[in-house]
Amino acid sequence: MRTSRSLFTALVAMCSIAHGGEPGMATVPDGKYVPLFRGEKDAKEIAVSAFQFDERPVTNGDFLVFVRENPKWQRSQVKRLFADERYLAHWGGDLDLGKADGAQPVTNVSWFAAKSYAAWRGKRLPTTAEWEYAAGAGFTIADGTKDVEFQQAVARWYGTPSPAVLPSAGSGRANFYGIRDLHGLVWEWTSDFNSAIVTGDARGDTGLERNLFCGAGSLGSKDTGNFAAFMRYGMRSSLKASYTVHNLGFRCAKDL
Amino acid sequence: MKMNLAQRHKDAKPAASILNLEGRKAGTSWFHGFQIHLRVTRLICIFLCAFAPLREARSGDLPPCCRKALDAGKPTDKSLYLLDSKWTSDVGKSVPLSVLRGRPQVVAMFFTHCEYACPIIVNDMKKLEAALPAEVRARTDFLLVSFDTKRDTPEALAAFRKKEKLPAATWTLLRGGADDVRELAALLGINYTPDARGQFAHSNLITVLNAEGEVAFQQPGLNADPAALIAAVTKAAQAAKR
Repeated sequence: MRTSRSLFTALVAMCSIAHGGEPGMATVPDGKYVPLFRGEKDAKEIAVSAFQFDERPVTNGDFLVFVRENPKWQRSQVKRLFADERYLAHWGGDLDLGKADGAQPVTNVSWFAAKSYAAWRGKRLPTTAEWEYAAGAGFTIADGTKDVEFQQAVARWYGTPSPAVLPSAGSGRANFYGIRDLHGLVWEWTSDFNSAIVTGDARGDTGLERNLFCGAGSLGSKDTGNFAAFMRYGMRSSLKASYTVHNLGFRCAKDL
Repeated sequence: MKMNLAQRHKDAKPAASILNLEGRKAGTSWFHGFQIHLRVTRLICIFLCAFAPLREARSGDLPPCCRKALDAGKPTDKSLYLLDSKWTSDVGKSVPLSVLRGRPQVVAMFFTHCEYACPIIVNDMKKLEAALPAEVRARTDFLLVSFDTKRDTPEALAAFRKKEKLPAATWTLLRGGADDVRELAALLGINYTPDARGQFAHSNLITVLNAEGEVAFQQPGLNADPAALIAAVTKAAQAAKR
């Protein structure tokens, strides 16, 4: 009887692991993301299917293992096409973190490098919709817009310059899904960072949505209070895939 | 008419006997003259039929993506030909971008259902092709890559080529997987997003890749003055390896 009970417990535990997905990843349930800007004829919401999301950003330590196993992503080996000159500039060398801390989020990584890391882990980068949807969750409830404490914390971070020494990844307060540091630590790459914010199929050039950057813009947007989301939008739109930035890192997602 | 021609070819005599006209007294009768005329017509027909496939093979059957890959060592650090991704052309062939190495490529991303900007971009590229000095044009290729991974099948691309009359010898039309399209767009600095109507909002950008596959020049916008583009292509064509 006792054996069967412990067997049963073990089975339940195994099942829950299978359902809970990978260790270090949290499950974000089905939902909808309301983009800041959409064309008049576009859907007002984008459906997001449930997915797994890293609980914390990828760290220097994580990335070191990756470059050790994938020499073409080491600082001296990487092709300029895939990462600019500042790639991993804060490290001491190819396989030497230097003054960087293994627990800090890795930064100075290009989109290509982040994408390769994710693939190496059997994961992928989140879409912008997934990232924003997960980041919209408050500390205590799924809808962050109704969590005053959360709103204040986010606003505080976006109004503060990045600290000279980055805190460890995972040290921030967990959100409703158990995910940390989506706000308050570093900016993060998304798989489709180079989407949107072009005016539709329009004459003229690639024209970034003018509304986005001028002061009147937030009046026309869906969510006039979400200044942080505007900043992320602007940040993404200014990036190129080979860029590396001292406060831009990433985390991985995975299908359920 | 076609049937007639085909039948004539069946009983066509060897060229030498048809050519042997000197021995005859030309113009002895109107009937004889008519016969000679028929024979000459026949000869021209045979000539055309014999050489037409060859001409086709030269210009039509070898689009840039089907040429033999140039053995030129590893691509440079800034070359788009470092990409491993595979692309499918409108002739159904699966190729890496590096098959295009050796000649400058004038590149744009588009989709065949595009209602407004893409036809203008393609038209800008055609105008550029026409405006290039002949020796430059002979060494320059044109590349269109689709955003639309769902609808732009090789068949759809082939239909677009036909509709737009894009010469097979110099124009490549490619489709690819969603991730690969996103990556190429990222490399070219092209932003795009699908909209609710199945269209794509996208940057309008024409890029010149040099023979090594490095971005040599980019022209944003539509209907721009092509002078800078022509200069960039001309410079790139001087370094062409084929």
